[in-house]
Amino acid sequence: MDPSAIVASSLNKTFNTKTGLWKTKTKSTIAVEDISFNIERGELFGLLGPNGAGKTTTVKMLTTLLLPTGGTAKILGLDVVRQTAEVRRHIGFAFSGSRGLYNRLTAIQNLKYFAELYALDPAITRKRIPELLELVGLSQRGDDRVETYSSGMVQRLHLARALLHDPEVLFLDEPTVGIDPVGARELRQTIKNLISLGKTILLTTHYMAEAEELCHRIAIINKGRIVALDSPDALKRRISGDSVIEATIQTAQAHILMDRLRILDGKTVVELKNSTEPEKLCIRTPEPARVLELLSPYLNPQYIQGLEVRNQTLEDVYITIIQGEKE
Amino acid sequence: MIQSLVHSLRVYLAEAWLSYHGRFAITSPFGYIASKLGFPFFLMLFFIFMGKFVGYTNPLYIVIGNVLLIPAANGLGGVTLAIRDERQWGTLSYVLGSPAPRMPIFLGRAFYYILDGFVTALLGLAIAAGIFHLDLSQVNFLLLMVCIFLVAVTSSGLGFLFGSISLVSRDGWMITTTFISALYILVGVNFPIESLPVVLQKVAYGLPLTRGILAARLALDGAGWNAISRLVAGEVLVGAIYILAGYLCFRLIEKRSMASGTLDAI
Amino acid sequence: MSRLRWGLIKRQMVVQLQVATLNLYSLGLFVIQPAVFIAVGMLLSHAAGNAMPDLVYSVVGGGIMGMWSGLVFSSTYDIAGDRYNGMLELIVGSPTSLATVEAIRTLTNVLSGLFSLSLAFITSLAIFGYSLHGVNFWGAGISLLLLLFAMWCMGVFLANFIAWSRISTWFVDYLEMPIAFLCGFMYPIRVLPGWLQILSGAIPIRWALQAMNESLLGNRDLTFLATHWAIAIGISLIFLAITRWLQVKVHDSIRLSGELSSI
Repeated sequence: MDPSAIVASSLNKTFNTKTGLWKTKTKSTIAVEDISFNIERGELFGLLGPNGAGKTTTVKMLTTLLLPTGGTAKILGLDVVRQTAEVRRHIGFAFSGSRGLYNRLTAIQNLKYFAELYALDPAITRKRIPELLELVGLSQRGDDRVETYSSGMVQRLHLARALLHDPEVLFLDEPTVGIDPVGARELRQTIKNLISLGKTILLTTHYMAEAEELCHRIAIINKGRIVALDSPDALKRRISGDSVIEATIQTAQAHILMDRLRILDGKTVVELKNSTEPEKLCIRTPEPARVLELLSPYLNPQYIQGLEVRNQTLEDVYITIIQGEKE
Repeated sequence: MIQSLVHSLRVYLAEAWLSYHGRFAITSPFGYIASKLGFPFFLMLFFIFMGKFVGYTNPLYIVIGNVLLIPAANGLGGVTLAIRDERQWGTLSYVLGSPAPRMPIFLGRAFYYILDGFVTALLGLAIAAGIFHLDLSQVNFLLLMVCIFLVAVTSSGLGFLFGSISLVSRDGWMITTTFISALYILVGVNFPIESLPVVLQKVAYGLPLTRGILAARLALDGAGWNAISRLVAGEVLVGAIYILAGYLCFRLIEKRSMASGTLDAI
Repeated sequence: MSRLRWGLIKRQMVVQLQVATLNLYSLGLFVIQPAVFIAVGMLLSHAAGNAMPDLVYSVVGGGIMGMWSGLVFSSTYDIAGDRYNGMLELIVGSPTSLATVEAIRTLTNVLSGLFSLSLAFITSLAIFGYSLHGVNFWGAGISLLLLLFAMWCMGVFLANFIAWSRISTWFVDYLEMPIAFLCGFMYPIRVLPGWLQILSGAIPIRWALQAMNESLLGNRDLTFLATHWAIAIGISLIFLAITRWLQVKVHDSIRLSGELSSI
């Protein structure tokens, strides 16, 4: 048995659109360029990246909804282009947003419809639907029309739909978008439970804390290319064991503090976040003690109103990588 | 005052461009024209052969009537769609929440459909004249164009009315399309109004288009301004009443939805 | 369809009725629209100086018009609606092919159209006193079944184009009238010019409808009817074969262009 659940090799996707008054010109847009990764069975793999980076396009190619213009992809050893029908039987997918359900139908009616599309045995359907509604916390609302649901409930129903045929591989595209914090936490717990049941999950998200909490490995994708791929800890180590010191400062005194820190060597990065009010000085440094020593004379409200020292988070790594790409 | 007028004009032009772009950008000009003319042309042929079968001796009456139905259906359907799309695309709150004056917003939307209907009708007339060898030597073209334009404008009043309904009802578009098909019977497109039962004749004269279509038929026969002025004045009056009613209906629905906090829902 | 999945057929039909058919829009489509055409037919006949309209063509024909309009609009809006609300990609992404789903949906739409036809038929019997005396019932019955089959074939054929691209939705909409016009829904085919009669011969609906109308008018000529039925079946099967070929192309094309989820 192939140990890999998902294998993407040099995947490419270019969209061609007709432009001009007479639609005679063709404009090509590269959405995904030379993407390769392996996802092991039972692994929760995160795909992070800015809007338009190619995450959803990648997921849609892997779920057979888009044909790649180059490269290959296999799910459980099955080719997504040549063995489409087989692949579809083994995967489940849920996209973010309220689209993808019949609003005039109840949750149960929607699930029964998809059960037929996935050719489930009626006896299994009867057993699975209550179980799944229980799993996603919608047992009490199963007979209500979907149009009466909140966006969080719709999102959870999407997850139930994706799990209906008990797929081995699950694709979740920004599953917690638009869900309140409590709902998002419950959904994350559900995702963890699915991993403990042996499912393989590919998750795309914008929430770094979510990716850090859930994912075994993460690929950061930007402008259609993978720019980093590793475990969250390894990614954090990638930009050294630096600490982050965030100081809330008086705007007028920013230059004095910046001057003071200038004596530090190039390993310390000082950044003024002047989009915030009051301003924040963000210092990434391998020598936090030295920075604090330099700032200590200014630890009074006239200069520094607050100070926080923390370790690097995945968000810091993400921003460093994406900004590095921009430069 | 001037500043406010310029602002209104800018809103008007921006809205007209938006309507044009929204409907036009998806296809090439050829596809656009083909799709615009296809339905009315084949509908007309259908009615002509229906007439031929039952022994109706005046197919040209049907040809002209159906050509005049193009700007009417365009003004009515287009404006309804322009308003309904705001609801469907969820942009209504942003439009109504903006300080932009209401009248130019919706007149701007209507303008594109009126112009579009006018041009399509002229094109339809030229094609029909070629196919059916219509004798256009007597036609008073200037007055005919005035009538076609008028029909497109007055029907947009009905568009505002139906558009407002589509803001509060999920089935607004169905009501509009049903009404458009009722025009095949009511406004003298396929046969003279006198063929209708008396009650329906009264309904016909209470609608825009009826007088406009009669005036256009006279202009096609070469009639001058004196012969059609009463019909044109009547059409303008009825059309103005419907435009005002449509506008007031829209404002009423807007106010009600703002008071009840259902702007997003409508 | 490798095997007949009754559960899917039943569920898809129920969903179709709940989501798309049982609403006010259908009232316009299946009742008001044909009523308008019937009224135009009768008033034209009245304007032409006839005391009584031709019931088979002007009244029952209005019902056929309702069936066809219902089929074209329902099929168009089913797929356009699915594309808009994100269902299209979920259906395509399931192990059941879009072709199977479309086949069942079109069948539902064709059968829903029978409501229009029944209403028109009842109207001609109850209001206008159409007499069933002399009607060739077996001929009309077989022809009606073949008419439903031919309409279903045309429905699945057109559905391909709507699935293929958003723009084609416009053109499929506008095919409603050309086919009604060419097939003589509300007049006998003989009133068309010769070259249009030849053109209409390529549409299976025309042959089944002609056989049905002739049967309603009392024609019992088995050779005439059997020939029409055979041609209707033959052309329908050709359309089905083209449809099967197109379905594979469309399935690839929409996944290449990204048209699956475009709104």
